[in-house]
Amino acid sequence: MQKDATSKLTPFVQILLNGLISGSAIALVAVAFQMVYLPTRVFFIGLAGIYSLTPYLLLFAAKAGAPLAVGIPLALAASVFVALACEWLNHARLARKGASDGAHLISSLGIYIVLVQLIAIFWGNDTKSLHIGLDSTVHFSGSVLTGSQLLMACVAAALLLGVLAILRASSIGLRLRALADNPTQFALFGFDVDAHRLIAFAFAGAFAAASSLLTAYDLGFDPYTGLHAVLLAVVAVIIGGRHSFAGPAIGGLLLGLVRAQVVWHLSARWQEAVTSGVLALFLLLRPHGLFGKKTRIEATA
Amino acid sequence: MNYLIHLLIYFDIYVIVALSLNLIVGYCGMLSLAHAAFYAVGGYAYALLALKLGCGFLPAIGIAAVICALLSLAVSLPAWRLKGDFFVLASLAVQALIFSLIYNWSDANAALGTWQNLTNGPFGIPGIPKAEIAGLRFARPTSFIWLATALAVACAFIVWRLKKSPWGRVLVSMREDELAARSLGKNTRLLKVQAIAIASGLVAFAGALYAAHVSYLDPSSASLDESILMLSMVIVGGVGNFRGPIIGALVLIALPELLRFAHLPDAIAANLRLGIYGLLLVLMMHFRPQGLAGEYRLS
Repeated sequence: MQKDATSKLTPFVQILLNGLISGSAIALVAVAFQMVYLPTRVFFIGLAGIYSLTPYLLLFAAKAGAPLAVGIPLALAASVFVALACEWLNHARLARKGASDGAHLISSLGIYIVLVQLIAIFWGNDTKSLHIGLDSTVHFSGSVLTGSQLLMACVAAALLLGVLAILRASSIGLRLRALADNPTQFALFGFDVDAHRLIAFAFAGAFAAASSLLTAYDLGFDPYTGLHAVLLAVVAVIIGGRHSFAGPAIGGLLLGLVRAQVVWHLSARWQEAVTSGVLALFLLLRPHGLFGKKTRIEATA
Repeated sequence: MNYLIHLLIYFDIYVIVALSLNLIVGYCGMLSLAHAAFYAVGGYAYALLALKLGCGFLPAIGIAAVICALLSLAVSLPAWRLKGDFFVLASLAVQALIFSLIYNWSDANAALGTWQNLTNGPFGIPGIPKAEIAGLRFARPTSFIWLATALAVACAFIVWRLKKSPWGRVLVSMREDELAARSLGKNTRLLKVQAIAIASGLVAFAGALYAAHVSYLDPSSASLDESILMLSMVIVGGVGNFRGPIIGALVLIALPELLRFAHLPDAIAANLRLGIYGLLLVLMMHFRPQGLAGEYRLS
């Protein structure tokens, strides 16, 4: 009797854990996207290009003979640099011209396309992997987790809690929230808007790169992983609420749980259809998300 | 010569695509990434009707256009409540949903075109019949180009008449200020539904032309890359008027062909072409946000 109950419970716990861990990867990118979107209103699709680029940078460093302890910080730093370049060369200039949201979106899409095609030209289109051989496994109350899943869970939890604490408690967090609230007034109080925008882009680059490296270590990578990751992240932002920093993190975890359930009950190939369905439902029925403020459509556009 | 005819056929197809997308982007002021999905649905509808039911070209593209116009509600209903970035996202969700349906609606044990295996999934539909109207078969490229050109001119005429009509003027007023148009008693929700349905119906013609020309269709014609190419055409050419999208289609069809003469290695040619599209999008936004020949700046 006892054994029956555990064997029924085990796949449930396993699916739950898998969902939470893949959800934490989505949550990291969702927070990265929101770090840029809230303060600057830039719909940063270029983030997908950075996400795709990071594991290739690590692979490049590894092939040049750098150990992981050097390669990982180098790859992260280079990704942050690309994110800063996106702002400095593109979005800041467009913002100075008073360009529309549509112009930011399209140019960011252009940056994504250029980055991905450059990756494909230099490193090829095929799927690559960061480690060889089988992963170690950890048994956890009847469920099995791989070492890379455990690493993902720990790093993602630390980063998410860390950034939410920074936003809530530190002065830089307060200033970023103020910039998100009202950029004009923020400038009037004498703060440097450009510098704070750069900080937001740097945060976003670092978070996307971290999530990218963790996922690449677990599942491998190709040039097109980035857009998928960022689209999932944007769905998480819509679920969580587009006016909060914590909402996307929770939205990401929920989306991970839902997608894991789809794999269990239907099939992995319907994951994207169900994700689009969830997005459509939220956009139609609860466009402000689970934790967002309700605003009039004219005010948000 | 054959090479030039193929290029002209593609140009005809993409003129229809760009002009219809211009109705959504240029006249409603909304960026849609779902256009390739309707293009593919049009192609698949033609392919299945012609292959399984033996429909002629004209009835088949008529039914394909109606199917696409009905499906376009999936884009136009969210447009009631969403603007800007979040409409783009909703259209992207529709694109992903339709792509995933086309990609997954297959069953290896069932025959192609049955309810279990409607689209044949990633393997696509081979052997699509050539276009046939009243006993005339447009099998060779030299005859097919006349059909493609006739259809492109017909679509251009429809768009031109719509643009000149009072309906077209209300559409522009909605793009400029939706609240003002509503306060004057114009039903902007119905207007969006109509414009997007017409655009999706027209692009179904382009999809059917492509299917009849190439005789083979796979899910990649509904992909995001295809949508991005279509959007690049109207953005590079410019939106809000008649010549912008046509120039955009011409530039983006001609550009990769010019690159062909640069003798690049085959392995990187496709990637380089897409990269140039991306770079064009960025440069356009900085130096000419209204496109080469457009008259409306995207908001």
